[in-house]
Amino acid sequence: MSEAVRLVVDGDRCIGAGQCELAEPELFRVDDDTAVAEVLGSGMLALDRAEVVVDRCPSGAISIEEPAAD
Amino acid sequence: MTSPSTSPSTAPNVTDPSLYLDGMPHGRFAEMRETPGLVWHPYGDGGFWAVTRHDDVRSVSKNAAVFSSAVGHTNLWDLEADALEARRSLIDTDAPDHTRLRRLVARSFTPRNVRRWEDTVRRIAAELIDEFVAAGGGDWVELVAAPLPIRVILTILGVPMTDAGYLVELSNYLVEGTGDRQSIPPDAFGNTTELRLLPFNSPASHALFEYGERLGDQRRRDPRDDLVTALVQANEDGDRLSDQEYRNLFHLLVFAGNETTRTAITHGAIALADHPDQWRRVLDDRRLVAPATEEILRWSTPVMHMRRTTTEPTELAGTPIDAGQKVVMWYGSANRDDRVFDRPFDFDVGREENPHVAFGGGGPHLCLGAYLARLEIAVLLEEMARRSLLLERRTEPVRAPSNFVHGVLSVELAVATGRAAIAPPGGDSR
Ligand code: HEM
Ligand code: SF4
Repeated sequence: MSEAVRLVVDGDRCIGAGQCELAEPELFRVDDDTAVAEVLGSGMLALDRAEVVVDRCPSGAISIEEPAAD
Repeated sequence: MTSPSTSPSTAPNVTDPSLYLDGMPHGRFAEMRETPGLVWHPYGDGGFWAVTRHDDVRSVSKNAAVFSSAVGHTNLWDLEADALEARRSLIDTDAPDHTRLRRLVARSFTPRNVRRWEDTVRRIAAELIDEFVAAGGGDWVELVAAPLPIRVILTILGVPMTDAGYLVELSNYLVEGTGDRQSIPPDAFGNTTELRLLPFNSPASHALFEYGERLGDQRRRDPRDDLVTALVQANEDGDRLSDQEYRNLFHLLVFAGNETTRTAITHGAIALADHPDQWRRVLDDRRLVAPATEEILRWSTPVMHMRRTTTEPTELAGTPIDAGQKVVMWYGSANRDDRVFDRPFDFDVGREENPHVAFGGGGPHLCLGAYLARLEIAVLLEEMARRSLLLERRTEPVRAPSNFVHGVLSVELAVATGRAAIAPPGGDSR
């Protein structure tokens, strides 16, 4: 099992294409009005699946949060 | 700068429209895919870098900052600056303009919102299929593939069905504008704009603009639950489309989904008729409708290329590219790349992994209508399966002489009996 990472969405880059919601419906939801994706809950996902979503996002809006330095 | 500074391998010609009368020149694409680096394809008095491998198409699509859609044009030829400005829409803008425009329409095309149209799509698809069966078959393009997408998008936009005939007519004139023959005079529909400033150089664009403006005005005064209302209303941040943005977007929406979805549905039906074993698999297991839809998209690749222009010197597949050069992604080639697809020339409705690039290679311009197009194809397959329809091909498809849309002008299909006679449509058909 691969390590879990936290995913974040850059709302300024998101174009509302909904690829994230299709790939990981538990984790992403594209807002019906603003067409910007939001992360549901903690945003934690296994690294291998996280990399797939990052790659699927057409606008490069999803990234894996750098772990805090502590 | 229009020519490369180094001397790269030169591509076999894939732009001559007449080549496509015999189908996509797959042999020539295979040759390019096997050539290391990128190949230079002469075109007009310049040329372009031909991108033919799947992973290179993805790289170009995803790096929109370097591979621009706003410079020159997204077709092979350049437009003059004023024409580009007048025609500019979603498809030929870069961030941040693109992000803003795209977001103003994106909400109507998210997977969840598109699902709201499923009943509408199903009703239209069922009607067309029933008429096709009642007629004992005929030209699939005219009877099913062309009317389905146009009726769907007009319904979604909120165009009254009494006007549908007029808009279908306009859209057909636009298609003419993509060839070299216009059957209507420059001043048709009261047009006074120079043709080169109009999309497809067609006076029908003027009429479509006018129609869109009138409908927009009505919806501003009297909002309804339709896409035109959503487009003319401000979004949450109070942002809204300017008049020209709205007009160009209305035009793009009427046109972009028609030729493309029609082409997918036509190649899909031909493939199912030619590979009855594959259609049997779908009939036996409806869960294959989704992968069959993706396979039809890969197989048909309705849009054969899109172009970008480099904003700075860069490198791709080991080939240096100067700033200001044209880079053309050949989707039909990427969709037959055996580095990614197992036996790419087999039509296989059960492919588990099918990362085709029929809607583009990822990146911000990924087709806005992708879910709508998928819904239309999937619902049509479901309605065909529900009637146990078997298609048989009567004629060779008549192909369009185009290097851009993988178009079929007509193909005669017959409705075969057999299973259809054993299992008539159930009581649940509408
Ligand atoms: C099978 C049907 C379809 C195919 C194969 C198709 C294909 C494409 C392709 C290849 C692109 C360019 C992608 C890129 O440059 O990276 C595109 C963009 C676009 N398509 Fe489609 N399309 C289809 C259906 C539709 C439908 C139904 C609509 C209508 C809503 C639509 C609206 C658009 C728009 C507005 C764009 C421009 C998006 C942008 O630049 O942000 N398409 N499509
Ligand atoms: S896939 Fe990317 S662009 Fe699309 S909704 Fe999700 S975050 Fe936004």
